[in-house]
Amino acid sequence: MVWILKFLNVSLIILFFVSIASSHSWGDAIKQGMQIFNEKAGCAACHVLKHAGSKGNIGPNLDYSKDSQNVAYVKDMVKNGLGVMPAFGEDGILTPEEIDAVSNYVAKVAGK
Amino acid sequence: MPKKIKKINSSRRNFLAGSATVAGAAAAASVMPITIANANHTEKGARGLPTWTGWKKRSALIIHSDKGMETHRAAIGNSVITPLRHVYIRNNMPTMSDAQIGKRSNWKMKVEGVKNPKTYTLAQLKQLAQKTEASILQCSGNGRGFFNHKPRGSQWKTGAAACLIWTGCPVSAIVKDCGGLVSGAKFMTATGADMPKQLDPKKALVERSVPIKAYKDAFVVWEVNGVDLPNSHGGPLRMVTPGYFGINNVKHLGKLAFTAKESSVKYMKSSYRISPIGKKGSQYPSCWEMSVKSWIVSPLKSAKSGNIVVSGVAMGGTKKVSGIKVSVDGGKSWKKANFTGPDMGKFAWRRFVFETKLKPGTYKIVSKASAGGKSQPKLRMENRRGYAHNGWLDHGVDIKVS
Repeated sequence: MVWILKFLNVSLIILFFVSIASSHSWGDAIKQGMQIFNEKAGCAACHVLKHAGSKGNIGPNLDYSKDSQNVAYVKDMVKNGLGVMPAFGEDGILTPEEIDAVSNYVAKVAGK
Repeated sequence: MPKKIKKINSSRRNFLAGSATVAGAAAAASVMPITIANANHTEKGARGLPTWTGWKKRSALIIHSDKGMETHRAAIGNSVITPLRHVYIRNNMPTMSDAQIGKRSNWKMKVEGVKNPKTYTLAQLKQLAQKTEASILQCSGNGRGFFNHKPRGSQWKTGAAACLIWTGCPVSAIVKDCGGLVSGAKFMTATGADMPKQLDPKKALVERSVPIKAYKDAFVVWEVNGVDLPNSHGGPLRMVTPGYFGINNVKHLGKLAFTAKESSVKYMKSSYRISPIGKKGSQYPSCWEMSVKSWIVSPLKSAKSGNIVVSGVAMGGTKKVSGIKVSVDGGKSWKKANFTGPDMGKFAWRRFVFETKLKPGTYKIVSKASAGGKSQPKLRMENRRGYAHNGWLDHGVDIKVS
């Protein structure tokens, strides 16, 4: 019995730290994604995204389009571009990790 | 993941110079599927109209984004001419506002590549010459939503097309007024005035060149379906190049030039090129002349058994549409359908009707138009960006008759 309680206790402590760590990494991921969106990639110049505080009016409003909530769709667009939108992957403007970060960020916050 | 890539239209393989290879198809198949925005006004969470074009009829439109919306297949109407509130919108640049446009009669358009270059105001163009003509506006990507490899861009099915009555000044009158063309002019190049100043013209300027022969039919228009050309359709002045895909009908027209070479901007050089899947480049054909095409607009899903009227529209591209056939068995057997409504010239579409008797069951109803001695192909021409689809099979409808 004591053994089980000890085990549960340790498990809970581990769970607590894992959740802290993951919430930190998720917060960091959001921060990183937003930074790429607003600065390195400059998405903000062309798109509305309320969460990032951007009001660009060249490309689609990301809060309006449901496609923006689909991470695969966003990643494909960021990577390959479309029309006036640069191909951030194909042209080597962003690294694959940065593309993941900004795409995950947009899909997570669009329309929120 | 996308379904198996269908066999390409072999009759047009040469056109693609290299065509779609197995490797190309495989590469395309690796692209993640894109959600087809088939949402209409009744769908949960449906978006409303964007404020800049709030005068449109929401229930007639399928909204793809705040900058792109398609006419519902059933909403092109039965009067040949598409109601303006139902007409699709596809923008490469944001629509100009009244404040940006200023007084409409003072809108300026430069003309170059003529013996006496001039700048006209809209008021002057109205005084120079006028013509009124029906012409189809169709996005190059109309039908993209039928491609299995789900090319990037709005997933238009049939509704990025409209037949409209335009009024404007013929380009031939402008050329004449400017003393004629300079020698060596091979292209007519139209430039939009809608690019925000912070953008790089090489990447963002909407400038399109078409073969010089197109200027004889072209006109610069300020009125559509009886009203001043709305800003969201390129007002106060846009290019209309009858028989050519939508992108060549440049909105917010600021310059018209007759040039020895095609424009070198991205929208001419690399965008709107019909290339095999997995390939791209300026060596491939540009989206210029439209092809013969038709589609059914009713019925779309179901019908009661007995007498059934199938109706739709048929167009010839740059040639007059000469015939239309309908099949109720997926193309195994065909019967002649009849045109109805006014013939508004070779650049307009014709409405067609076909009466048949059907027993309860399921039917694949398809239509096939002819123009200039050519008929619609069965299959789409597979290409990277999903342009110029005129295959009859994909445009058919599956109907349940009860």
